[in-house]
Amino acid sequence: MSDILTVENLGIGFPARQRHQVIKAVDGVDFRVAQGETFGVIGESGSGKSTLGRCIVCLVRPSSGRILHDGADPFALGAGELRQHRRTFQIIFQDPNAALDPRMTILDSVREPLDVARIGTAQERRRRALTMLDRVALSLELANRYPHEISGGQKQRANIARALVLEPRLIVCDEVVAALDVSIQADMLNLFAELQREFSLTYVFISHDLRVVAHVSDRVAVMYFGKLVELGPAQAIMAAPQHPYTQALLSAEPEPIPAHLRTKERVILKGEIPSALEPPSGCRFHTRCPLAVAECSARVPEWRELSPGHFAACHFAGKSAAVPATASPV
Amino acid sequence: MTHVETNTSSPVHAKSSARGERLLEVRDLSVSFNDGNDWFEVLNKVSFDVKPGETVGVVGESGCGKSLTALSILGLLPRRGCRRTGQILFDGGDLVAFGEGDMRKVRGRKIGMIFQEPMSALDPVFTVGYQITETVRAHFKVSSREAHERAVAALAAVGIPSPSNCAAMYPMSLSGGMRQRVMIAMALVCEPQLLIADEPTTALDVTIQAQIMDLLEELSQRTGTALLFITHNLGLVAESCSRMLTMYAGQVVENGPVDEILSRPLHPYTAGLLGSLPQAKHRKSKLPSIPGRVPSPRDMPAGCRFAPRCTYVEAGCRMSQQLVGHGARHARCWRSDTLVLPGAAV
Repeated sequence: MSDILTVENLGIGFPARQRHQVIKAVDGVDFRVAQGETFGVIGESGSGKSTLGRCIVCLVRPSSGRILHDGADPFALGAGELRQHRRTFQIIFQDPNAALDPRMTILDSVREPLDVARIGTAQERRRRALTMLDRVALSLELANRYPHEISGGQKQRANIARALVLEPRLIVCDEVVAALDVSIQADMLNLFAELQREFSLTYVFISHDLRVVAHVSDRVAVMYFGKLVELGPAQAIMAAPQHPYTQALLSAEPEPIPAHLRTKERVILKGEIPSALEPPSGCRFHTRCPLAVAECSARVPEWRELSPGHFAACHFAGKSAAVPATASPV
Repeated sequence: MTHVETNTSSPVHAKSSARGERLLEVRDLSVSFNDGNDWFEVLNKVSFDVKPGETVGVVGESGCGKSLTALSILGLLPRRGCRRTGQILFDGGDLVAFGEGDMRKVRGRKIGMIFQEPMSALDPVFTVGYQITETVRAHFKVSSREAHERAVAALAAVGIPSPSNCAAMYPMSLSGGMRQRVMIAMALVCEPQLLIADEPTTALDVTIQAQIMDLLEELSQRTGTALLFITHNLGLVAESCSRMLTMYAGQVVENGPVDEILSRPLHPYTAGLLGSLPQAKHRKSKLPSIPGRVPSPRDMPAGCRFAPRCTYVEAGCRMSQQLVGHGARHARCWRSDTLVLPGAAV
């Protein structure tokens, strides 16, 4: 399989209120996504995962490093070419309400991308939009309604149809199920899986919900404070997380099982994500890490491959019993 | 009003009256709203109880009446176009019969409340310390200095580093986790007997959620405050509650000890909620979902309200359903004796 997306040493900065300062939302991120794969990105709010997602579809310009679509830099394209190119790299956002124009019917919203791209005749565009709405299980009756007349789950379906109508190859899904009830969420995840098989889509699936990411993804990247701290096959990350942050995330996720079946030990992290203006020295996680020693604040940990395809950035990951699979709290 | 239940006696409390004292007893609580033309019922004969120091979870999808139940207990429903019947027995009185003046002495003093979105529950133009102090002085005759000391102590109790600095800060300069701690401090400063927490961690990250849940558990153990915990997260209920209620379309459809319900739910709706959670062990498999959605209060199905979405539906489901007792548990499903429903996947 070839790589549809390559992210190389990507850095994205925003000017802070004090103009001389720069907030680095993403700082030195490297990964590749293969054609047809689902690549999960987990992180807490403020970890830079959404900024990363926006950069992948060229909505934010990198300040250092680069992203490649099929080996070519989309930011090197002219404005017209980039507009053409964008059709194949789409994004779906978290809030289904904010993504639909309240004054357009669902059908018009789904047809709009085709109108902008000037594809076919008006008749054909309408037909294609209706076919796509049908595919995401929205009836003709719903197609003529306005966003406020349908439910949150239906709105999210409309957004999916809207992203799919231009026949993209890669879709960035940014917290697409976070605003939905569990039963609707399950429906939506099933739909994403079906569409992937049908249209051979590649997903970059961004979420703070470990359960969701682990369910849909082939590989998972864990982001903390603008950097990747761990990357590996979804199964390996869930079964044997190597970075203390991933371990804490996994253990913090409450499990809906009776008490006598619960095996894992909770690691409760102290403190919160530090201020973006003053990133901690050394390992960025050392201020909250239950295992931190002096070395952690002095030296930035290397990005090491612990087993084939499984990377982590921690001085102690994979070394002896320093990081047991179920780290005990301090 | 679209639906009238024939049998008014609630089996929930027929047996349980012998078991220990109860702090809160909700009996056949029904709430109806008027949209200008018609009355429609949004809560239908909700009954449950909370014992002192106990943590009870309430789960269900959005629109099932979880938050409405909390607002009814606190008397925070609009006064016009709203009808509340039944009883809410708390601390020797019936809150349904209380006037606004009496409710004010209960609200914040004996029953504390934490909402989902701490930013909209805090006033942006006053300091955190002022807002907590205001709560203290509304309920206790103390000097402003004493009230301030209590506020700072409350902030310290919820694990805020340098609490006196925090008291001088405005809500906007605090992070989401800190704001929720402030809300908890404010809810607990008057040492209520009952704390109602409506989705207290939904807006927070998992690691911060774990901190807040830990804090709530510790505080409720230390002060003996009972907790009514409203959430859509079954995992949180499993980890922190001893008993739970499942609500669907304005009714309690199942209640009982959490571990028993998770091992073997008695109502298909509870089983459906459990089944639709993604599991890491069944990666990429099709998730069982509950088809359809919660019916609107204006358009309640006759008979079992869950029947149109239920996989186990039968002809008998067209009858109106009562809560059926099974020892310490109850389920609003006439087939709960015979149905074997899948519990939490392990």
